[in-house]
Amino acid sequence: MEFGFSEEQLLFRDTIYKYAKNEIVPLCEEADLKSEFSFEIWKKLGQMGLLGLPFPEEYGGQGADVVTCCLAGEALGHAGVDSGHLLALGAHTYLCTDTLYKHGNEAQRKKYIPKLASGEWIGCMGLTEPGAGSDAASLQTTAVKKGDRWILNGSKTFITNAPVANVCVVYATVDKSKKHAGITAFIVEKDFKGFSTGKPFHKMGVRASTTSEVFFEDCEVPEENVLGNIGEGFMYAHQTLEWDRSALLAPFVGGMQFMIEQCARYASERVQFEKPIKSFQAIQHKLADMKVVLEAARLAVYRVASLKDAGYPINHLQASIAKAFVGDWGFKVTSEAVQIFGGYGYIHDYPVERMLRDAKLAQIGGGTSEVQRLIISRLLAL
Amino acid sequence: MNYEFNDIQKSIKENFKKFCENEIKPHAALLDIGDEKSVEILKKNIKKLGDLGYLGMIHEEEYGGTNQDLINFAIAGEEVAKACAATFLSAGASCGLCGMPIRLFGSKKQKEKYLPGIISGDIIGSFGLTEPQAGSDAVAIATTAKKKGDKWILNGTKTFITNAPIADVCLVMAYNDKEAGPANGVTAFLVDKGTPGFSTGKPFEKLGYRGSPTSEVFLEDCEVGEDAVLGEVGKGFIQAMQTLEFGRIGMATVSLGVAMACMEEAVKYSAERKAFGKPINRYQEISFKLADMMILTDLSRLLIYKAAWAKQTNNPEAAILASCAKLFASEAATQISSWALQIHGGYGYIKEFPVERLYRDAKLGEIGEGTSEIQRILIARDLLQKYGS
Repeated sequence: MEFGFSEEQLLFRDTIYKYAKNEIVPLCEEADLKSEFSFEIWKKLGQMGLLGLPFPEEYGGQGADVVTCCLAGEALGHAGVDSGHLLALGAHTYLCTDTLYKHGNEAQRKKYIPKLASGEWIGCMGLTEPGAGSDAASLQTTAVKKGDRWILNGSKTFITNAPVANVCVVYATVDKSKKHAGITAFIVEKDFKGFSTGKPFHKMGVRASTTSEVFFEDCEVPEENVLGNIGEGFMYAHQTLEWDRSALLAPFVGGMQFMIEQCARYASERVQFEKPIKSFQAIQHKLADMKVVLEAARLAVYRVASLKDAGYPINHLQASIAKAFVGDWGFKVTSEAVQIFGGYGYIHDYPVERMLRDAKLAQIGGGTSEVQRLIISRLLAL
Repeated sequence: MNYEFNDIQKSIKENFKKFCENEIKPHAALLDIGDEKSVEILKKNIKKLGDLGYLGMIHEEEYGGTNQDLINFAIAGEEVAKACAATFLSAGASCGLCGMPIRLFGSKKQKEKYLPGIISGDIIGSFGLTEPQAGSDAVAIATTAKKKGDKWILNGTKTFITNAPIADVCLVMAYNDKEAGPANGVTAFLVDKGTPGFSTGKPFEKLGYRGSPTSEVFLEDCEVGEDAVLGEVGKGFIQAMQTLEFGRIGMATVSLGVAMACMEEAVKYSAERKAFGKPINRYQEISFKLADMMILTDLSRLLIYKAAWAKQTNNPEAAILASCAKLFASEAATQISSWALQIHGGYGYIKEFPVERLYRDAKLGEIGEGTSEIQRILIARDLLQKYGS
């Protein structure tokens, strides 16, 4: 066992941290306040190669391993980049582009990956439906073959990036009677006939990432846009969970470090009863709890990443532990951070207000905390 | 970065698991009675662990140890603790709290005198820092050491000393120069059982860890020679603090062991116990508690391994990571033991089921080797030094 990072990895992390702090963070608060996705931030992320990290260089990516992807996410979170843009990055890179790369044929890879990896295009993934959240296999969107086209009908919801996306990896069933074995993945471009997106939702947190419904009304998808094999879509969607439970959680780990630094600074400056509030043990204890949760969260997330890099198939127990812990305990300590800031923590002028709203998502997105516990308890051989 | 066990670690896990389940666990309930017979079993257990090589894992080869990575020691320790927390505690106080400072600061002569016996289990050691008025605030100890010719005269009282009633040697921290303050005025002495003026009190009746005897230690004009001084005169407090970093990893490990035992019992019981026509593990009130046990034990273990790795590699964060591991694992264990008892219902409240003992044992994790409160103070102090304005 070895818990250190290489010199190269640390250098990479520090570079991203500094870049984000100087170039991106100054734009984040306003974007969050306005609930606006910033194309300027997106462009800056693309310029640093952060929108195609794990893909081979021949497709315009950086060829990074999963641990390095996590380090990038952690560095961005640590710098103070808002979770909205980081979620947009995560959904784009890990839920859309990676699925396209992993299961796409050469023509599909060549057509889509370079555009997505550079950030010229934005990607999204369409799995969740109004009636199919945690129980994803019960999705109702259908795909019917008609000549050399597939006709899609149905609707998706809570689709991150949908309002700004150029391409969407959509999961639809070709045969409901087969349940999950009927689910197939399709590559649907924004301009395809019968494809449309709803009005962006007003969300509690991650507000700079846009989220909406997606509608398929006799949406026509050419045969060459079937992704992978018919009936294997559920498996592909399932594979994105590895990312949901590693690289997509890494920004929250970095965010906790950012939060600790913010709290330590505020507690040193804020004077009450004639002394800085850091001298009160009630404040110190909250800080300590944040640090313990941060250390445990970091270990849980990098374990999933490191074992994925070592070539192991996803360990669902470890992945669910990471997801449930970062979600539940992360939310708890973020709430304590707001408490340290008192009234100032409740207004937008300080970042902890946004962070608490953002942290709530980690308990819901990518499989709720309850679903994680369901998975864990099943794996306990009950 | 690598989260996998190497082959040695895999075999340690397997061997210790098997050994402890067969040799240690069956006696855990008897040990818990805490009578004369328990002491005999405990001594036998320690000897067995010596034979197995456990007590020497953190010691050098020339004294009979195997000088292994601290992660390996933690892997083995979890299995010992899971089988019997009291045995873990006494073994750890001997080979760790007493043996480790001898390894780190002792003279060749002292090492030769004590370490082979500590490693084999023939000598039992103890660590005397805490006093009636000096627990978390360890600098407040009142025991004194006065130089008289080539002798040192020790006076004072120690309390809550694990192994004291059965120990052959006690490492005693005393002020030789109060003016010089804790960093330069405290000295550690190796005091043998039978030294005139050295005596121990009646074993305490404790909530848990009843199989591991604990008592006061009295030093009444206790006279020891120059050769009893461990390392440099005046450096005893710093030695003690360094030792406690190991001790914190140990306390985290025993907490994890207790928590694992609780989880195992709860998983087993909830599969067998039926209510309203089905096993109670079919209810999410139960199964989600089990899932939380899994989450907390798993992360405790990772924190322990990381703290051990940090200590082993002299990482500057080692002390803080040890505090994090200890704080998290011990609070997890008390929570888990409470859930495990609850899952057992009335049966958890009686001695027929092991969770009754485990619940009592778990609590010590939040107190021994620095309370949870002290860990939080240490962690927060570090953060405020780094990031506070």
